[in-house]
Amino acid sequence: MAGAAREVLTLQLGHFAGFVGAHWWNQQDAALGRLAGAKEVPGIKELLPGELCPDVLYRAGQTLHGQETYTPRLIVMDLKGSLNSLKQEGGLYQDKHLDAAIAWQGKLTTHKEELQANNPFLQNLLSAEGVMSSDGVWRVQAFPNGKGLLPLAKAFSPTSKSLIPPEGSIKVWSDFLHVQLHPRSICIIQKYNHDGEAGRLEGFGQGESLLREPTYLEELEDRLHFYVEECDYLQGFQVLCDLHDGFSGLGAKATELLQDEYAGRGILTWGLLPGPYTLGEPQKNFYRLFNTALGLVNIAAHSSLICPLSLGGGLGLRPEPPVTFPHLRYDVTLPYHSSALLATALDTITVPYRLHSSPISMVHLADMLSFSGRKVVTAGASIPFPVAPGHSLPDTLAQFGGTTPWTPLSACGEQSGTRCFAQSVVLRGVDKTRQTSQLSPGTSPSSPLHACTSGEEVLAQYLQQLQPGVLSSSQLLLSPCRVVPPYPRFFSSRLNQQGLILDGTHNGTAVETIPVLTTLCSSSLLHRVLSRLAGELANLDLRRWASFLAAGVEQDDMEETIQELHNLAQCYKDGDSLIS
Amino acid sequence: MAAVKALNPRAEVARAQAALSVNICAARGLQDVLRTNLGPKGTMKMLVSGAGDIKLTKDGNVLLHEMQIQHPTASLIAKVATAQDDITGDGTTSNVLIIGELLKQADLYISEGLHPRIITEGFEAAKIKALEVLEEIKIEKDMNREILRDVARTSLHTKVHTELAGVLTEAVVESLLAIRRPGFPIDLFMIEIMEMKHKSETDTTLIRGLVLDHGARHPDMKKRVEDAFILTCNVSLEYEKTEVNSGFFYKTAEEREKLVKAERQFIEDRVNKIIKLKRMVCSDGNKGFIVLNQKGIDPFSLDVLAKEGIVALRRAKRRNMERLTLACGGIAMNSLDDLTPECLGHAGLVYEYTLGEEKFTFIEKCDNPRSVTLLVKGPNKHTLTQIKDAIRDGLRAVKNALDDHCVVPGAGAVEVAISEALVKHKSSIKGRARLGVQAFADALLIIPKVLAQNSGFDLQETLVKIQAEHAETGKLYGIDLNTGAPMLPAESGIWDNYCVKKQLLHSCTVIATNILLVDEIMRAGMSSLRG
Repeated sequence: MAGAAREVLTLQLGHFAGFVGAHWWNQQDAALGRLAGAKEVPGIKELLPGELCPDVLYRAGQTLHGQETYTPRLIVMDLKGSLNSLKQEGGLYQDKHLDAAIAWQGKLTTHKEELQANNPFLQNLLSAEGVMSSDGVWRVQAFPNGKGLLPLAKAFSPTSKSLIPPEGSIKVWSDFLHVQLHPRSICIIQKYNHDGEAGRLEGFGQGESLLREPTYLEELEDRLHFYVEECDYLQGFQVLCDLHDGFSGLGAKATELLQDEYAGRGILTWGLLPGPYTLGEPQKNFYRLFNTALGLVNIAAHSSLICPLSLGGGLGLRPEPPVTFPHLRYDVTLPYHSSALLATALDTITVPYRLHSSPISMVHLADMLSFSGRKVVTAGASIPFPVAPGHSLPDTLAQFGGTTPWTPLSACGEQSGTRCFAQSVVLRGVDKTRQTSQLSPGTSPSSPLHACTSGEEVLAQYLQQLQPGVLSSSQLLLSPCRVVPPYPRFFSSRLNQQGLILDGTHNGTAVETIPVLTTLCSSSLLHRVLSRLAGELANLDLRRWASFLAAGVEQDDMEETIQELHNLAQCYKDGDSLIS
Repeated sequence: MAAVKALNPRAEVARAQAALSVNICAARGLQDVLRTNLGPKGTMKMLVSGAGDIKLTKDGNVLLHEMQIQHPTASLIAKVATAQDDITGDGTTSNVLIIGELLKQADLYISEGLHPRIITEGFEAAKIKALEVLEEIKIEKDMNREILRDVARTSLHTKVHTELAGVLTEAVVESLLAIRRPGFPIDLFMIEIMEMKHKSETDTTLIRGLVLDHGARHPDMKKRVEDAFILTCNVSLEYEKTEVNSGFFYKTAEEREKLVKAERQFIEDRVNKIIKLKRMVCSDGNKGFIVLNQKGIDPFSLDVLAKEGIVALRRAKRRNMERLTLACGGIAMNSLDDLTPECLGHAGLVYEYTLGEEKFTFIEKCDNPRSVTLLVKGPNKHTLTQIKDAIRDGLRAVKNALDDHCVVPGAGAVEVAISEALVKHKSSIKGRARLGVQAFADALLIIPKVLAQNSGFDLQETLVKIQAEHAETGKLYGIDLNTGAPMLPAESGIWDNYCVKKQLLHSCTVIATNILLVDEIMRAGMSSLRG
């Protein structure tokens, strides 16, 4: 049983979730391409052991023409008009001949929407990806791994500038997605518009009622069924869900459906909040607050864990400055940038249940963190994890001193003075030789970290030092995160190709991989954050926002939500502070 | 108005004539989009999205859902029209056409100084009379197979091409007759519509049983079983290891092993219960045994079941569980503790069909199926969608006929008859309101006019011929769309739903009245939430 992949199904609900997802799949795809390439050259093989099992998130399939495919096990829900140049069914299973057949003999008028000009980046991608064979059937070029998947490392030489998507041209997530999706992946909600003034999916109630309609409920059930039925050892679901708009309601309903239908499976929800908001648009801001609160409470009730992910400084009405990363210069207003960072964090955080070797399952991870009802957790990441070329892991960790090495990613504000109850830490991209201090025999270690004999030990020891008495599980991976285009290039010029920090300014090569450190932690900080959120909601007069109520949320629901937030907050009350 | 302006200087306001013309313009615009769709000779519309996704439709309802309507009045009309579809399943296009025409006719009189209120009074009077006429001309019949076929054919001919309409008519009528139970309302959910991207659209068939879009997940399980018992259950047959993993229940490795074993044993016991039942009922060896489980079955259990010659399908859809027992008989089991042979259903033939990466399991030859499946086939996604939409409308039309116990003649005959009756009725109305009645009578004629126009005939000429024929004989004449000559729809078997026409008269009058009575449009920072 250990040999089989423990499958996970991914759901992306909402447009920002699409952004994060697109980056994430791109990154995984780059890693897959690298693996496929490595098989050709025996020398590299040892350097890149397949630590992560791609079968956990991907599925192997076959088109009607017998072409093998390898596509994400994924369901995306987004609104009408959000796909731009991406076809709803994807290109992989397409058949030009059959698609042109029309079951009508009478008069026909064609109404063509203006063709979206593929941006040059995508055009390059298409030409690198497959060829339209003479019989009009879309064939993907054969690749050495036998899976019809493109090794992007080869298709893209990272230096050629034309392949880097111009940042201004990216409007929707499909503009930079270069993974082929299964035709069952994308589900478009025709009822609401992606942009424009009218018919937006703005409120929690609207999203909730979508999944009460048989049309969308059956659609979702059918897609779930398709992916789940073929899984032998389903671990669970990871749900990427926008919390700021009506998708939070959709997410709440979807997780409820999953919980009902697939009892005993893990459901990890990542509540995503896009870039900064301004006080200039009060309605949007208030809606965001309502949706976030309702989403947090309802999703927490139905999932194993929920983790808000945002680069913003706080959840409240008053905007707070976004978080900063020491070696990055990103533009928080661009979803293309902020989603890339969150995707990188996710790619690393989710490592524990995607490993080939380790027996930790999604449920196990969730149980560890959500002890005694603490279903909301926070995330943090250090992107890139600052390793200098000559330094070993103990050196690097020692230089942080008593401060936490990661930047908080859960919009929870200042971390100091809070206690962590349990955490799962993952560090990836530190190679074997650097993991320990490699002391020459006879010299005495300068710190307990330097005395450890394995990298895992160093990390565990460090966490113990940093926060004594915390239930920690840590993972150390050799393979780094790949950040080849279309990943944005926002790295400081001090980073070299492997993402190591150089002293002077840099040599001119683009960053290809970076080491990343992440944590997923249930912290007493949440007591403050959740209580504050409840307080802020309680101070608002909901009747001023009658249109929000009209969309299916009642005054009582709001009061219940505030109460629930208080209850949740209570779970995080620090035991020590009660005594003192 | 001044108040709004004072509060929000950016507010846009349109008054009286201006407001009316804005609204009428929107209604006419929508009418122009949909008018070419009406009738079997209407044009098909192909909608191509920016990315190249195709949608092929002739159905007003589908079109209105696809369009991104920005104009508030147009959006209001579209909502009423699609509500018509929600209630009756048909008549969306007619609805939009008649609303547009009512406004156009009313506009003629209003521009001559008639107050909209008076017109609406006329509309109201005309509606009451029209409903009376409809009541008189409806034809109550015994709803035999023949007439149901006519109803289905009339509906389907307007959505798909003739050959396909023939195939679908048969399938739709037979499926409804199969699930109909005297004394119970018809539940259309008992007809599953399953799509299969395969062959051509005319291969669409009715399966008297069920088609599931998944198959057995074990290489040794039989692909074809005849004369099979069917066990429907909702019991987990997979080892979930949740409790074992959470770490609170064991102290040592041996203890953990023991727990794992115990849980494994627990699942094995369940599997053995199924095997025991199978051995009991299949002792003679000729019968097959199928397990359809709503929960999962892990490879170990599948293996054990396969060795016993049992075919097992896991993760059956929740909505199919009810259909399964209705199609095959038996009871859906939530526990395996009290399994008896009475719980089992039966099917004459179960077989698997593989299509690329997708598998289909056909459960056929059921003894007395009360749930059936319409298997839609087609070469591509848009054809499948088109057929599915058509089938839904066809089913609704037949169901309406069965519920109403009556039908009305199609091909524009009803509209011509009502219009003439209204013109006669006009003289009994006092005052200027009779102008409203006249407008209403004229507006209804849009239906035969557009039918003639879409078939390539001169609309005035065709209409005059029919009106003359109708006036002469008093019979209900409609248009023969192939020749343009008057004909009797009752003889050609062209029947429309009574409830559709009734709903149409109601909703068109109400919405046209509402729009006419608008004399001010304001647009000031309104929330788009309900847009």
